[in-house]
Amino acid sequence: MDPVRRSKTLAWSLGALIAALVLAVLMLVAGAGERHEFWGDALAVVAVFTTTGVGLAITARQPGNRIGWLLMLNGLLLVLSGLAEGWAAYSAEHPGALPGERLAAVWDTNGWPLLFAAIVALAFVFPDGRLPSRRWRPAVALAVVAFSCTLLGGLLSGDRLDEPFEHVRPLDVLPGATSGALQGLGLLGMVIAFVLALSALVVRFRRAEGEQRTQIKWIAWAGAFIPLSIVLGTLDPSDAPGIATFVGLVLVEIAIPGAIGVAILRYRLYDIDRLISATLVYAVLTVCLGTSFAAVALVLGIVLGGGSVAATAAATLAVTLAFRPLRDRVQRLVDRRFDRLRYEANRQVDAFLAELREGRAQPEAVGAVLAVAVSDPSLRVFFWLPSEGQHGDDAGHPVPVLPAEPAGRTPVRRGELHLATIVHLPQASGPSPLLDDLIVRAGLAIEIARLRVEVRHQLAEVEASRSRIVSAGLEERRRLERDLHDGAQQRLISLGLELRHAQHELGAGEASATLDSVVAGLTDAITELRELASGVRPAALDDGLAPALEELAARAPIRTEVTATSERFSADLEAAAYFVASEGLTNAVKHAGGSQVRLQARRSDGRLVLRVEDDGRGGAAPGGGSGLVGLADRVAALGGELDLQSSEGRGTALVAEFPCGQ
Amino acid sequence: MIAEDQALLREGLARLFGDAGHDVVATVGDGDRLRGAVSEHHPDLAVVDVRMPPTFTDEGIRAAHWIRDAHPEVGVLVLSQHVEAAGAADLVTQSGFGYLLKDRVLEVDEFMEAAERVARGGSALDPKVVQRLVSADAGMNELSEREREVLSLMAEGLTNAGVARRLFLTERTVESHVRNVFLKLDLAAEEDGHRRVLAVLSFLKRSQ
Repeated sequence: MDPVRRSKTLAWSLGALIAALVLAVLMLVAGAGERHEFWGDALAVVAVFTTTGVGLAITARQPGNRIGWLLMLNGLLLVLSGLAEGWAAYSAEHPGALPGERLAAVWDTNGWPLLFAAIVALAFVFPDGRLPSRRWRPAVALAVVAFSCTLLGGLLSGDRLDEPFEHVRPLDVLPGATSGALQGLGLLGMVIAFVLALSALVVRFRRAEGEQRTQIKWIAWAGAFIPLSIVLGTLDPSDAPGIATFVGLVLVEIAIPGAIGVAILRYRLYDIDRLISATLVYAVLTVCLGTSFAAVALVLGIVLGGGSVAATAAATLAVTLAFRPLRDRVQRLVDRRFDRLRYEANRQVDAFLAELREGRAQPEAVGAVLAVAVSDPSLRVFFWLPSEGQHGDDAGHPVPVLPAEPAGRTPVRRGELHLATIVHLPQASGPSPLLDDLIVRAGLAIEIARLRVEVRHQLAEVEASRSRIVSAGLEERRRLERDLHDGAQQRLISLGLELRHAQHELGAGEASATLDSVVAGLTDAITELRELASGVRPAALDDGLAPALEELAARAPIRTEVTATSERFSADLEAAAYFVASEGLTNAVKHAGGSQVRLQARRSDGRLVLRVEDDGRGGAAPGGGSGLVGLADRVAALGGELDLQSSEGRGTALVAEFPCGQ
Repeated sequence: MIAEDQALLREGLARLFGDAGHDVVATVGDGDRLRGAVSEHHPDLAVVDVRMPPTFTDEGIRAAHWIRDAHPEVGVLVLSQHVEAAGAADLVTQSGFGYLLKDRVLEVDEFMEAAERVARGGSALDPKVVQRLVSADAGMNELSEREREVLSLMAEGLTNAGVARRLFLTERTVESHVRNVFLKLDLAAEEDGHRRVLAVLSFLKRSQ
């Protein structure tokens, strides 16, 4: 079995075991009679299932992360503690019904250190399941020793057991002094271990950035329930831990695994700042209002006499009146300290990501969203183009040198890969943690945008290179045509002139007639050469599209009417338009069987529109010959489009449109 | 006077004119020297290649314009590789101007006839150019085949006698064809041979 499946099986078995134990505990408790508060039991069950459920979820997603296992271990320890209590209680109600009654009662009183063991271990290894560094190993060893001492010292001592099992005899293995010393030293060690575990978190928080910081904040928030639970614990009489202690503990046991789940599984990870803010606001409010209520009630009670309804009413009224203004003030204070901006910024980025998922936003808008989120209108994102070795803008145009202003630079990376550079206003206080957080949060959008920008860039490159190739081909034709005209043709004419001179020297005679026919042959060769050169590239194109089309029409064996603008366009454009006309005319002559062709070249909305129209039989299909396909490629290379309009009996029109600027 | 940048062709042309009994006063290879030589020698005729250094585009045409303005009495015969009417269009309706394709020089007799005509202040237009002018005009449909031939030859610059020789017709027949052409095209009959050519050319150019 492969390790992943094995760990999955193990996790689910452990989960099932815990569930079964919870069921057993509930049955035992029910069998022991009405000795428990219903809400206390319910909360305990929720606590067990929270820690176990979160543990299961984490092991399922990150089998290698020890945190999942620690959480499940925590669930197991919790349910075992419940089992011990239930077992002992049932045995107390039905003496002799179950074995191990004494052991269960001893465990119930002295097993408590284990309830904190998993929590401390979690603090050491949160959030990646590993210690911050090897130097922390002694701290863990200290924790293990301290917890063991406290546990063993308690279990093996002769001290009286807690209520309601005070009648059960303790194990009493160790002498009182030894067990007392063990427990004392163990407790001290436990306190130190708690402090060390807490400092591990602090150290991590200091070193962490972005997401990990947020993860640790969650734990910090949940950890705040520990002092709360201690405060609650003091409300109970110290010799008989009651409902207040219990509720505090259960809160801790629910809040911490819950926070860990949020942090590790990253579900609503970034709501933490708002949560901290709200928690603080309401904690401060509660304390203030509670104190005010008590003070007003006390003062009025003294003045009006104890237990006065009027005093209570007045105190309530005062507290009610104070609530709104106090809340606003506290909220402002908390916001100043805990940065509402960050919350707003995160919310904006989240909204953008949601729109992106739903296809209502373009990933390239990430720059604009970040600019709004950090309130820096000058912020811009430049995406890295690996093929160019330089940055590019949204449209994929290379930007060799990033703008000098604003001067702030924040690189965006994913692993080793450089994705983009964000240019923004420089922060006096160094790198902006808010921007860093937002970059992590919007990382996927930036990566998608970068890929799209790069594709766009490469497409533009390909189009440009296609256009260059076509351009080079046209230039080659022009050179060939020049060579034919200025080289071979002139040479032939010179030879002809020499023959004529020789003819003149020889005077009339038989040789003269021979020379006539040689010159006639030479003339034919020159004519053929001119036709050839013209086919390569008509020289009339030098004078513009209109003259070239005129010449084309003049040579056509069919009546051809030309309406052409005398405007000049780029040489490539004129040549491409000419070849479209030439091909269209050839097709019309060969296939259409019409009597007349109209050649039209005009400018319309920044486009050169060339139209070859015949009055033939129509029904031409574009796929027929490769001529049209090649032509379409040539037109596309200049950013144009070729369209063939042909229906049976209504002639054929070949239309090419090229962008030609304003 | 011959302006042609290719030495072989230049010498060949010079010999051709020499063989025909003409004096070639200067041969030059570019437009600037042509201007200087024309001012110096005042020849009867300047034979000018269209493409010459330094631009190899329309040097000859520009030089021809310059000669027409500076020395209107000098006939200009422009030789071109192919039909490129753009620059020459303004000149074809003027007297003492000719525009021929280069390979015409091999038809020595006709070429010399055209050259001499231009030197005398007449005109010569290449049949290819005429063909294009004629084919572009829808009004030509009214003319018969023979009348169109006659019109084309007139446009080339030929006289009635020249047309008759070329078509192996009597001069009287040619005259009657010419009358019909003028009638059909609604042109005023012109007695003078040269002005008649210009009228035909103007008509063709207008209708293009």
